[in-house]
Amino acid sequence: MIIMRSRFDEQLNHLRKKMIEMGAECENIIALATKALFDGNVEEALRAKEEGIKIDELEREIESICLKLLLQQQPVAKDLRIISAALKMITDMERIGDQAEDIAAIVATLNGRVGDECIYISAMAEATIKMVTGSIDAYVNEDLSLAKEVLKHDDLVDEAFISAKASLIKMIANNINDGEYALDLLMIAKYFERIGDHATNIAEWVIFSVTGIHQQGG
Amino acid sequence: MTNKIFRSIIVTSMVVLITSLFVASSFLYSHFNKSQVIRLKEELSIVAASVEEFGDDYFDNFNSSYFRLTLVAPDGVVLYDSQTDAKQMENHLDREEIAEALETGKGSSNRYSSTLGNRTYYEAVLLKNGNVLRLSVNQITVGVLIFAMLPAVLSIILVALLLAMVLANNMAKSVVKPLNEMDIENLIENDNYEELAPMINKINRQHHKIAKQMQELNQKTDEFRQITDAMNEGLVLLNKEGIVISINAAAKELFEVDDSAVGRDFLSIERSIRMSQAIKKALEGKHSELREERKGNEYQFIFNRIESEGNTKGIVILSFDITEKAFAERNRREFTANVSHELKTPLQSIIGSAELLEKDLVKPEDTKRFIDNIKKEATRLVSLINDIIDLSQLDENNALEQEVVDLYEVTKEVVEALALMAQQKEVKIEVDGEPCEMKGMRRYLYEIIYNLCDNAIRYSESGSKVKINLKKKNGSIVLAVADEGIGIAPEHQSRIFERFYRVDKSHSKETGGKGLGLAIVKNAVAYHGGTIRIDSRIGKGTTITVIF
Repeated sequence: MIIMRSRFDEQLNHLRKKMIEMGAECENIIALATKALFDGNVEEALRAKEEGIKIDELEREIESICLKLLLQQQPVAKDLRIISAALKMITDMERIGDQAEDIAAIVATLNGRVGDECIYISAMAEATIKMVTGSIDAYVNEDLSLAKEVLKHDDLVDEAFISAKASLIKMIANNINDGEYALDLLMIAKYFERIGDHATNIAEWVIFSVTGIHQQGG
Repeated sequence: MTNKIFRSIIVTSMVVLITSLFVASSFLYSHFNKSQVIRLKEELSIVAASVEEFGDDYFDNFNSSYFRLTLVAPDGVVLYDSQTDAKQMENHLDREEIAEALETGKGSSNRYSSTLGNRTYYEAVLLKNGNVLRLSVNQITVGVLIFAMLPAVLSIILVALLLAMVLANNMAKSVVKPLNEMDIENLIENDNYEELAPMINKINRQHHKIAKQMQELNQKTDEFRQITDAMNEGLVLLNKEGIVISINAAAKELFEVDDSAVGRDFLSIERSIRMSQAIKKALEGKHSELREERKGNEYQFIFNRIESEGNTKGIVILSFDITEKAFAERNRREFTANVSHELKTPLQSIIGSAELLEKDLVKPEDTKRFIDNIKKEATRLVSLINDIIDLSQLDENNALEQEVVDLYEVTKEVVEALALMAQQKEVKIEVDGEPCEMKGMRRYLYEIIYNLCDNAIRYSESGSKVKINLKKKNGSIVLAVADEGIGIAPEHQSRIFERFYRVDKSHSKETGGKGLGLAIVKNAVAYHGGTIRIDSRIGKGTTITVIF
């Protein structure tokens, strides 16, 4: 029994490591996509797309680890929460990866035009990166207060999105030739906003895995 | 232990009890048998006497379930039996006891009846009328005996068991009690059982040994900790699973963790992908390095595998703050680029003029102007190179021969040298001071004052004043050069002493500076162990104070 337990702990540890790894990949891909956006660097954008494949692989790997743990060990209480939260979190992380990839894909079509013409987008990028890092840090350290901070942060991102939208409408009004560019930026802003939502979800699952209470939020 | 003692006492007492019961009952059994036979004989003699006296009437009154009475005629025919019908019975002449009685007057025998499953004792006696009277009794079987004894035996066992349990419990407790009350910390002081003395001694010795080893270990850990904590470089030791074994103060600060980091997965402290990859590479036995920016500083990380007898034991991570080194590298790169640029500009001018002269494209009356230009640029080049040589000499920090120099004299020299330039710019120079002698390199001190004054005049507007103030104060010499010029913005003030740094980015030649003057001042002042203070406001003027 003790041997089985320690094997279980080992597997949980392995799961944890993989989760942190996946979190780090998410942070990395957002950083790459953002850098590509503000440097107008198409090559960086393409690299971000490659990184996305790694995240998908990690998602599948973690999924199989979780299922194996559920089937073989039949965990209860906190162990069960950790595993089920992990299963939910990887979905969010995978979506974060996808959206970062989408941002990179748009950057690739901007033909080197830099995305800093709307200040709200850089603010959004900064805020969402902070949220993703915060939610992963909260997972790593099982830090409830940090997770709750991430939840609060989401409102800021939402506000920034509204401001970005307004400023992009102004941009189109000023120069109709910037229409396509402005729409691209709007999409990017939306992706950032979605990334923020996924970070919020991750933070909620962190709270669930620690306390057992899952807050239903936006 | 209590249980064990309790159990063995119970078992022992039960074994003793049962054995004694068994022995007692076997004695009893043989005693019973003997007394039965004696009683049988006595009964027979009584019965025989009664039969002799009362005749056959006796048989009618005989009533016993215990004894069996049989009367046999001399020819063996059974005349009477107390338990069966005599007529049905076979001839008894061949019975051992009958035959014996007929012969000797008395007979006895015992037989085992397989049909009844018990033994029967027979006693026979010859009556006066020639008949044989036989009395028999069934032997009491062990089973009957035990069955009869059962209630008594059971109650004895029960009482004994209860008694044994209580006693055993008490006894076990009293045996174990001193053991339980032993003072574990001071084993040697326990003398309850002398049988335990050797063990206690041994444990005590080991106890001391362990305590000593622990102390040594703690001391070593402490030493290691103190040494590593005193290091400026960050040091992290990981085992091969990536768990932090040790982390020093510098690394704790760098990774923003506290002591709780020890025992945790390094990944949970630092999850950057580049870092993970570097660790992975190091685990494969390859040396790996990483440069990363942290908290505004640039750090170099070195990852190495720790090996012991060919097995990977872990990873050591060293981090260095290379901000200054990186800054110096960047400065050197910039300096080289600037020097090349500054050297190239006058040379191109010289080459251009020379080419024009070579191809006779210059009007004779302009020739002098071109040659003047070449000379001017060449002079500029030489002075630039001189400046660079000065700077590099100051960089080398060679201890050159020092002499006693009067700064006031030097200042006057400088003012003379710059008089023409000041006149051209219509700037008035005022010198206020006293003779101040100090030990130093005359050439460098001259350079300091010259460059400060040169700058002051250069950035002054016509009609303004440049004041040079030289005085002794608290044992040190204070040199202040003040102008009423354009002033320097605060964000530039810290950088104007960098080589080729210009407030005016266009490198305009309007003022004609080379961009090395203040760098030479800074290094020369540093060479003489002085300090520089700058006090400037845009539009109001600048005062640079040098204190030796």
